[in-house]
Amino acid sequence: MNSPSSEHFNYPTGRRAGENAWLWLVKMITGPLLVLILTLHLIVNHYMGSAHSGLMTYNDIVAYFRNPLIPLIEIIFVATVVTHSLLGVRGIILDMNPSQKVLTWVNAVLLLIGCSAVGYGIWLALVIASKST
Amino acid sequence: MNNQPAPQRLLSWFNPLGRNPGSWAFILNRLTGLGLTMYLFLHLMVLGRLAQGPEAYEEFLALTKSPLIKLGELLVIGAVIYHGLNGLRVVLTSFGLGVRRQVQMFYLSVLLALVGTAIFAFRMFAG
Repeated sequence: MNSPSSEHFNYPTGRRAGENAWLWLVKMITGPLLVLILTLHLIVNHYMGSAHSGLMTYNDIVAYFRNPLIPLIEIIFVATVVTHSLLGVRGIILDMNPSQKVLTWVNAVLLLIGCSAVGYGIWLALVIASKST
Repeated sequence: MNNQPAPQRLLSWFNPLGRNPGSWAFILNRLTGLGLTMYLFLHLMVLGRLAQGPEAYEEFLALTKSPLIKLGELLVIGAVIYHGLNGLRVVLTSFGLGVRRQVQMFYLSVLLALVGTAIFAFRMFAG
């Protein structure tokens, strides 16, 4: 089972050598979820706004965020997309076979970037939700 | 050998010889993934203008009318469609589904990404 060749599948799997199976599963679940949310995100923001092109204006966005469900969905969206993208970056780094010491740093930096981005996303969603037109 | 640091593996990414379609799918997935990650963080930063009020946001929207930004948006659209569809292909085959059709699914992802990008290009520049 642990022969070196077991890392070379003859069909694509999203799992990187050395990647934790749970993190791989997170990437596999967030991916299809993002296809769904991103499609909705694009339609809503670019085609249901009041601008001539259908793009949302500032007032549209503020009105849209008045529904308390929207900031919640947007926060889940930011957390999902940030997690997926940083796990992807980590997969690329893992393929360069970093030493354990380097990997520990990589994990810490990615975690810091991820938490900052999600924290910022939560802050921004709440600020927009608190605005009045 | 497998657990030794090997940053020189990076160079093998740029070797176009002897690759099968699955390998190209993998490379495209990474390039689009890296591009989309950069776009994501730019996008989040720019949306910070929403916190500064309507003038700041509309000022940014005016900027997006420039052809260069539109071209960048087209790249993002193409990358999103490809990465999304190819990602679904990877999820399916990871769970043993459609393994025999994985090459066709890759070509379909590329085709739909090209068609989708062309449709949006038409809408943006001619529509």
